[in-house]
Amino acid sequence: MVDAHLRVADFGRVTPLRSQTLWHALAYGVSHGGPPTLSFMRPSRPYVGVGYHHRLDEADLDDCREAGLPVYRRMVGGGVVYLDEHQQFFQICLPLSAVPKGRAAAMRRLLEPAVVAFRAVGVEAELDDELEITVGEAKVCGHGAAQIEDAVVVVGNLIERFDHAAAVRVLALPEQVRTEVARLMRRYVTATPADAAAFREAAVAAYAEALGLEAVPGGLSPYERECLSELDRRFSSPEWQRGPARSEPACAQIKVRAGVWVVATAHERATAVASVVGGRIDRAWVSDPDLDGDSSQLEDGLRGITLAEVPAVLGEYGEPGRRLTAAFAKARPVG
Amino acid sequence: MTEFAEVAGFPVALDRAYDPENHLWVSVSEPATVARIGLDALGVETSGTLAQLAFVGVGEAIKRGEAFGSLEAAKFVGPLTSPLSGRVTSTNEAVVADPRLVESDPYGAGWLIELTLSDPSELDGLVRGAEAVPAWFAAEVADYRLKGVLAE
Repeated sequence: MVDAHLRVADFGRVTPLRSQTLWHALAYGVSHGGPPTLSFMRPSRPYVGVGYHHRLDEADLDDCREAGLPVYRRMVGGGVVYLDEHQQFFQICLPLSAVPKGRAAAMRRLLEPAVVAFRAVGVEAELDDELEITVGEAKVCGHGAAQIEDAVVVVGNLIERFDHAAAVRVLALPEQVRTEVARLMRRYVTATPADAAAFREAAVAAYAEALGLEAVPGGLSPYERECLSELDRRFSSPEWQRGPARSEPACAQIKVRAGVWVVATAHERATAVASVVGGRIDRAWVSDPDLDGDSSQLEDGLRGITLAEVPAVLGEYGEPGRRLTAAFAKARPVG
Repeated sequence: MTEFAEVAGFPVALDRAYDPENHLWVSVSEPATVARIGLDALGVETSGTLAQLAFVGVGEAIKRGEAFGSLEAAKFVGPLTSPLSGRVTSTNEAVVADPRLVESDPYGAGWLIELTLSDPSELDGLVRGAEAVPAWFAAEVADYRLKGVLAE
């Protein structure tokens, strides 16, 4: 137990910017001695979030501009995500000292009460071995986490309705890759239309129980209001939007959910697109001028194998095989 | 040639000092002006599979306790906290491009940054020595196992 109370702050419907800056402000507050806090909010309209380490140009900025979608970088991990008013956001924030030191242990501890809340509103959710909240094989909650000064925050959402088309459209990808991401997203990311008020109530009870704290309604402290103003400015600035300097990645990798990836890679004149599910290639499309347009046998050979097994399979295809092996060697789907 | 001890199943390099707060190793050149810093084996284990790393820029001055970069694993972003004060002279771009290096060779090719020290007396706060390091590391592993951070 870290404090007698769990502050519960429900901000209702807020602007896209505030749907990010409010909970970051709470994290700074908790770091400066504020109580453990469970917060809720919902963006008033669609926007795009970029994970802390990801390149801004992973989002299709032209499409975002045309669609009127603001783009905000968050401090938690993960990639480019589409967020809208059909998603009930929740965040649990604790002092660093109250959280297990290992990342996996911390995530598990802080996501398990959310699973209890999902189940309380009739969603048969599980926290799987890869720390995804799932129903069957589909992820039902987009989560991320960060240590912000001396606080740890884990964020997630109840997805009442999910616009798969919009979620794929905001990704800066070649059409073939986009199509494959869309196929996998429809299979591996799903909405759970539950009563949001009941979910919030269940989450409050579950987190209070798990943390041994008494839930007490609350709002921003004066310090957190100051932080909020600063964060509103920071998150709106081009410098913050650009994020940490990142070099061009060796290949494009899009994570659909833990263990489900699409990679698009190239080496010299060879190109490859592959979906990787559970560590094995689900589908692959390859091209190389020396294949004379006949790649189907090679693509069939790749299906079902691991990336580590690719060199052995491609070894019998001469120069095109060598180039494609080098292309696949750049792929590194982690997590 | 680096001498290693195996402590509670983890390799521990004995030719360097350790930051007990953040599980970072510190290797200092003689005279004590430049320090190379990396994650120790327990720091790697408790981070999980590394997805992203980023560092502050070369030339930036940092104080002990400030972040010299950030690390992401399992969508959890956290700071890399410097055990020493100084100016960053080099960052390992190889681990930025491929964080697997940190996991496969934490004490060698997986180093993170180099600093020119501004206060070498801060080195006194680190754990060092062929007896002290294994004893401290073993106690840390035991504590992590007790708290469920590491599997038995």
